[in-house]
Amino acid sequence: MMSDNVILTQALRKSYGSTEAVRGLNLSVGRNRITGFLGRNGAGKSTTIKMLLGMVRPNSGSGTVLGRQITDAEENRELRLRVAYVAEDKPLYGYMTVEQMIRFASSFYPDWAADVEKRLLQDFELPLRRKVKTLSKGMRTKLALLLAFARRPELLILDEPSEGLDPVGIEHLLQVLVGRSAEGVSVFFSSHQIAEVERVADHVCILEKGCLLVDASLDQLRKFYRRIDLVFSSTPPKSEFRMSGVERIQTTGRQMSVFASKNTEAVVERAHDLNAVSVEVVPVGLRDIFLETVKEN
Amino acid sequence: MLWYKAWLETRARFLTSLMTLTIFCGVFVHHALYISCSDTFPCAQGLIRPGRQAELYFLLMVTQNYVVIMWVLVVVLLGMGGIVRERALGTSSLTLSLPVSRVRLLGVRVVMGVLQAIALAVAPWVTVLVVSRIAGLHVLITQVGLYVLLLVGGGLVYFAMAVLVSSLVIGEYTAPAIAFGVVLLNAIIFDAWLRRFNVWRLVTGDFSIDKTTYLLSTHLPWLGILASLSVGVLMVLASTIVVQRREF
Repeated sequence: MMSDNVILTQALRKSYGSTEAVRGLNLSVGRNRITGFLGRNGAGKSTTIKMLLGMVRPNSGSGTVLGRQITDAEENRELRLRVAYVAEDKPLYGYMTVEQMIRFASSFYPDWAADVEKRLLQDFELPLRRKVKTLSKGMRTKLALLLAFARRPELLILDEPSEGLDPVGIEHLLQVLVGRSAEGVSVFFSSHQIAEVERVADHVCILEKGCLLVDASLDQLRKFYRRIDLVFSSTPPKSEFRMSGVERIQTTGRQMSVFASKNTEAVVERAHDLNAVSVEVVPVGLRDIFLETVKEN
Repeated sequence: MLWYKAWLETRARFLTSLMTLTIFCGVFVHHALYISCSDTFPCAQGLIRPGRQAELYFLLMVTQNYVVIMWVLVVVLLGMGGIVRERALGTSSLTLSLPVSRVRLLGVRVVMGVLQAIALAVAPWVTVLVVSRIAGLHVLITQVGLYVLLLVGGGLVYFAMAVLVSSLVIGEYTAPAIAFGVVLLNAIIFDAWLRRFNVWRLVTGDFSIDKTTYLLSTHLPWLGILASLSVGVLMVLASTIVVQRREF
């Protein structure tokens, strides 16, 4: 029976000297979903991905990708057969031509989709005979994505996939991601472009300083996260609002802004009890959720 | 396709080396056959005289000395690269995301390097054979074969050392600098204190040449060759362990 999770980690930890890059990460990425992996630079996203693919060994903890142990060399090799990975810097062999690069990559995957390759070659307008080292950053990104999509993976792991793409390219990428997901491919992608994540992701994980702060579906986030803007007749009592679900309280003069991940009703009720002059509940976008979450930590 | 990748990565180095070694040997032997030889050489001047086979084989011995210098230089360069170097170039994450074990990645590179090293040992001696035949001189193929055997059997340890250094050191210039340093240091130290174990002398044929006929003895120093090959294998095994344990 297939597991519901394509990625599952338990207390995964990785240190570089005295710096803890990942601290006891418990991550679960669901099957047939698009999961956005957010975090600031140095939050531990790339280290986590590298641990999943066996490039970096965790200090402790365990993890599986598509049911295979990430720390077992042979199991990791098997899982890489079913996973497509596009790294942040879109590494490609500069001495190969586009055609050689495609031929090289296709030889490792028995399920290589020639039709997808052909279609994306046309869509991306990639010059087959050009050396990879002469391609622009955007073209390199497109080629890296073609190589990932055409290998017919069960899981796509993308690190900053839209970097280097123009708006048309980004739009195309997002459409392809949604299309792949609809065909049953699980997508796990990290990005600093929160608007992109918000557009296509079903689920969001926010990592900060190696710890997972948010792990929820986008619908849940939209449903529960609220900013409550309050105005009082005198300096508002901050301590009165320290309750479950309140992530951050900010006061400016007589105004108070409460950022809540749940329990919005209780906050509003407390505000009324304290004779707030104005109470406004504002739904928040993923960008605000991300900023507030990492700011708080 | 890993073979193809390994070939693309090394072909410029290999073909340049092949051309250099072949042209050098061709020109050197051609000139040596027709112009006067050095003062230390008994033929004194001009074309090697008929019946003076020793002069011809002396020339072969000198050729081997030059070939060894160049061959060691190029096999050390061929040993550079690999997944650790790819890390510096930024392509290691692509290579390591392929469904291929690190042992296989290293193995393909090593086998490709060994095949190229053999080709680089054979090509100059084939050139010597052809050029001397054109000059109407008969060189024993067995002698040429023994020189190639010494070069490959004794000298592959230099390639293995380069592979090990490139598994340990990332820098584009640091790794070859260290590898060439090891070659030089090894030659100096062994020549000064452990002459009998000097790989350089083993490879040039110093241990097996008859100083009157300049013919290589068919009783080759097999023990030395075996020891050299064994050290080479151990170095490759050490590289495997290093690459498997390394984080990228």
